[in-house]
Parts: sequence; C-alpha cells; structure tokens
Amino acid sequence: MQCPIYVYPGYLLAWGLPRRGGLEPGTAAVGLAVGCPHPTYLILLSPQMAQRLALRQLLSLAPRTLPPQAPVARHSRAFSTSANCKSTFNVQDGSDFQDRVVNNPKPVVVDFHAQWCGPCKILGPRLEKMVAKQEGKVLMAKVDIDDHTDLAIEYEVSAVPTVLAMKNGDVVDKFVGIKDEDQLEAFLKKLIGA
Amino acid sequence: VFPSEAAKYEKKVMVLDFVTPTPLGTSWGLGGTCVNVGCIPKKLMHQAALLGQALQDSRKFGWQFPEEVKHNWMTMTESVQNYIGSLNWGYRVALREKKVTYENAYGEFVGPHTVKATNKRGVEKLYTAERFLIATGERPRYLGIPGDKEYCISSDDLFSLPYCPGKTLVVGASYVALECAGFLAGVGLDVTIMVRSILLRGFDQDIANKIGEYMEEHGINFIREFVPIKVEQIKEGTPGILKVTSKSTKGNEIIEGEYNTVLLAIGRDACTRKIGLDKVGVIINEKTGKIPVNDKEQTNVPYIYAIGDILQDKLELTPVAIQAGRLLVRRLYAGATTKCDYVNVPTTVFTPLEYGACGYSEEAAVEKFGEENIEVYHSHFWPLEWTVPSRDNNKCYAKIICNIQDSERVIGFHVLGPNAGEVTQGFAAAMKCGITKEQLDSTIGIHPVCAEVTTKCGKSSPGTAEVKSPSLVFQSDTA
Repeated sequence: MQCPIYVYPGYLLAWGLPRRGGLEPGTAAVGLAVGCPHPTYLILLSPQMAQRLALRQLLSLAPRTLPPQAPVARHSRAFSTSANCKSTFNVQDGSDFQDRVVNNPKPVVVDFHAQWCGPCKILGPRLEKMVAKQEGKVLMAKVDIDDHTDLAIEYEVSAVPTVLAMKNGDVVDKFVGIKDEDQLEAFLKKLIGA
Repeated sequence: VFPSEAAKYEKKVMVLDFVTPTPLGTSWGLGGTCVNVGCIPKKLMHQAALLGQALQDSRKFGWQFPEEVKHNWMTMTESVQNYIGSLNWGYRVALREKKVTYENAYGEFVGPHTVKATNKRGVEKLYTAERFLIATGERPRYLGIPGDKEYCISSDDLFSLPYCPGKTLVVGASYVALECAGFLAGVGLDVTIMVRSILLRGFDQDIANKIGEYMEEHGINFIREFVPIKVEQIKEGTPGILKVTSKSTKGNEIIEGEYNTVLLAIGRDACTRKIGLDKVGVIINEKTGKIPVNDKEQTNVPYIYAIGDILQDKLELTPVAIQAGRLLVRRLYAGATTKCDYVNVPTTVFTPLEYGACGYSEEAAVEKFGEENIEVYHSHFWPLEWTVPSRDNNKCYAKIICNIQDSERVIGFHVLGPNAGEVTQGFAAAMKCGITKEQLDSTIGIHPVCAEVTTKCGKSSPGTAEVKSPSLVFQSDTA
C-alpha cells in the first residue's frame, strides 16, 4: 500500500479537520484525500521544514523522517514516506527490464503477477513491505504477465505469483505462491547476503 | 486442445487466435467461446443465481440473517473474469509447454497452403503449412434493425459488462436466451423475454414448455409472438434507458417498452465468410455459412479440416469439438482409425430449472420410429431439499423414451430438475452401452436423490393425469 504523504508548508489545508486553535507545524493528522481510498497522512511543515525537505529530495535522499533540527511539536510523530516509492517499480517494457533489472548492480526481486490473481494481491504489498525494510539493499520490480507476456514466457512463468531473485542478471532464487513475512525476510536476506 | 495434441506427435504447430471486438468493443483472451463468453461464465453466473435461491431456502433450515439480501453485479463479474483470466493464461502456458507457436493475429487464406496473419496493429505475415484446421466458431447474430448494433448487447458483452444491466429485455428463445434470462432474474433483475415463436427449437418441446412455465412462475415476463423492429436510446448511461418498439408476428399490433438493457440472443453465425475460403476452394453452405465435412472432419479440400460449431449438421458443443479434434489428430499422426461418435451425445441446459438430455426428443423419436413403436415412461418428482422450504412441488420431471422393437432399448433420456447435468452424465454412458428399460428397472435407486426417479418411471396412459412422485407418502402445500 503506497500511501502518499502530503506536506503543506505553513498552514493546514486539510479539508474537514477541525481548526481548534490551529495546529503546530510537525503535527501529523489523518484525513481522506480526494481520489485516494487509503487514509492519507498529512504533515504540517513550517516553511523552514519544507525547504529542508525539498533539499533532501533534490539530493535524491528518501525523506524517511523529518530533519531532527526542525521544531517538532510534542505530540507529533514522523511518518516514513516508506521507501516503497524508490525501491519498488513497475516494469514498463523489455528494455526497461533490461536496464533496471538485468543490468542493475543491486539485487532485484521480480514479482510476476496478474490482475486476475487473488494471491498476488496479498503477496505484492507484503513483499513490498519486506523489501522496504531492507533499506535499499534490494529493489523490487513488478511485472504484469498479461501486459508483458513475452517477458513472463522468457522467464518460464507458469503460475502466479512467481517471484525471482536476480543478481547481476542471473536468476539465483525463486518461489511460487504466497509466503509469510518471515519467509520473505529470509528469502531477501539470502539474496542480499549471498 | 488440437494444437497440443498434434504437438505431441512432434509436428510443428501454430495457432492463430484473434477476437474481432464486438460492436461495443468487447474482446477477450485465448480459449475460444466456451471459456470466455460461453459455458464457463454462464455456469458461474447460473451458480450465483442458484445461491440466491439457496439463501432464501436456508431460512427454513434455520439460518438467520437480515430480511434483505442483495446481489452485487460487479463483485460477481470481477470474480468470474478473474477466473477466466487464469484460464487464458493456462492455455498460453500449455501451448508454450507443447512448443506450439501462438500468434494473436487474424488468419485468412490467400492461396494454396498459405495463410496471411494480421495482428491488431495491422502488421501482416505469411505462413505456409502442410495441413490446416479451421475452428473459428461463431458470433452472435444481430437483428438488422435500427439501433441494434449501437444499443443492444449480446452474450459476447454480458459476461464482462462493467455495470449492472438493470431491467433487461432478452430477445430470443434459444438456450442462450433462456439461460441468460434465468440467471439475470435469479440475481434479482427485472427480466422480460421476447419470443418470436417456440422455446428451445430442436429440443423436446414438452420439456421446453415446462421450462418456460417454471420461469414464468418465478417472475420472468414473457412476450410471445413479437419481434423488435426498432431500438432507440432515451437516456445515455451505464446502463441507460432504451425504448424498444416491437411488432406482432401474427398481425399489425405494435407495442413499446422501456428497458435498461436489451440482450440479443437470436442465434449465432459461423465465422467462415471472411477467412479467404474462396481462395482455396473450400465449399461452405452459402445460407448458413457452415462447412460440410465428411466423417473424418475433412472439407472438400483434402489438406483443410474443420472442427467445432462451424460444422454443418453437427452438435454445437464444446466436448464434441474437443473429442473430434483429439481423434482427428490421432488419425492424422498416430495411425488411429477411430472416428468421432456423434450419436447419444448428452447435453444440459442451465435454465433456472435445469434440463439434461441424451438421445431423441419425443418428437424426433416419433418421426424416426413411428408413434406405435416407441414407449414413453415418465414421472414427476419433488427433490427432498425443496420439501422443507415448501417450493416447486411437482415441477421436476423425468422422461425415458424406449424403442419397443429393439428390446425396449432407451433411445431418449430427459430429466428436468436440479443438477440435471450430473444426473445425465452417467445415464449417457449407460445409453452408450445399450441399456434397456428392463435393465433400468432392475437397477436399484439411490435414496433420497433426484436421480432415483429414473428407476421409477411409469407409462403414461392417454387421458390420465401424469404420474406423481411415488416416493412421497403425502405432500404438504402449506407455506
């Protein structure tokens, strides 16, 4: 589940939240953004915080936590933007797969899935979460087998979900079907460590 | 099936599969009609309707839940389409495993032993082969009236319709029309069926009428002896509102009706007109588009074969096509001689009250053998499961037609009731072995099941009431 983080410098823009004497910068609130079915986390930023955030993004660092120097209100918590947005990506085509998976210096797990596959909808987010926990040491590529049938056939995918562990362009490990978080963690650690 | 079978014998095989989108743009994946827009989604949606009925029955068995139980069309359709998606993929994998080349391209003959394949981007490729097998199937027919292609849907669109069809007019009286109308009503929609003349042409008419009566009693409206002449859109939407103007087949009466959806199920036409058959000299029936073949499924051109719904005078059933295909390949490449047996092929119509049949209908038996040479045994029955909810007493029915001149061999089997397909399958095997009425009577029934009625059918005497179910001592009609 990749929930976007909305940051509003200066003042609260969230619709429907009570303005009881205003909210301190750094306060987190939960609301529903239009078009997004998941609860969306809103973080209020002071202009300085917003500047630092922009700078971090500019330097391509995932802003996982707010800079410690920022004036953070007592009752606030920093939310991780979840490195999901950087460590997981959807494969666009064959050459994209070549560039971002086969030729990637980092190990990549490839999640072959399908729209019509129930178990895939369970495994996908679970795998994304465990990949995120590895803090960038491994990346995750998602391949829809109906959109990229040639790729699925090339890698001999019969049933879905099929997950391949790829390192330096070679398939070094694989599993088919659902696994729980511990099993996924072990799978990923083996890939990273090996 | 056929490509995999041929590949077993180390023949190089290619499949050209292409679905021309419907007028409304619907298309689907690998697997043919049955998998995508036929048997599979039909039976699943029929099951959805049966479950609705089961929910109602369940209260009498002690299940307690709030008064209103609702049905969500999108949930059902999504589940059905997900399953179909897995089947499409399964076929891709199966072809790959057997090393069959698959092209999603429209194939047509351009010359002897040569086919042109055009993909959806318009790219053309030419292929040559030693032998060709045509299995292009059929597509729903349209009425040819104003508004039909723009506003009406067919079974090609129904099973993946991205919105609930709402109040529906089903035009037609084929099994497709009755089955679709049946499950649409079963999931709670307001359904009307417009019938030009008779129900289920080609099937036993006595049973066909019982099916119609049952559907009418269960809330489906029938408009008999009318045909639509115009469809107009009153309001756009998903669904919108359509106005249908219809004319009587017996006079000049005109009626109008408003519906959210109009489903055309008036027949299917073979896809043989635009595949270049004239370029290679394959003869087709100009009127129907069907291809006549010999008993080895060979067309008049020796290296071109045909299978499935496009064959003239053969049954349009999935298992028939599969069996014919398998045997054809074995004859061509494994030296076998077995031909497909088209006699005593069992079938089932999945209307709300299901109908299983094998062999002759009563009309066909009378025509072939003469009324004096056949004996008809029958019985009504009341499934035990329906007694507690106290519904549909004396609706289920079984009929066995025997040939007096051939030791009273069973030549026609008909059962109208739940799980008709399950009941009929074993019986078809018995008929293949030549079961007689005496052997049937000496078979002890399983109790308490619907199928045991087949061991208890009695003669119908002229002028007397039909035989009621003998297994019930008393019948309570209290609700």
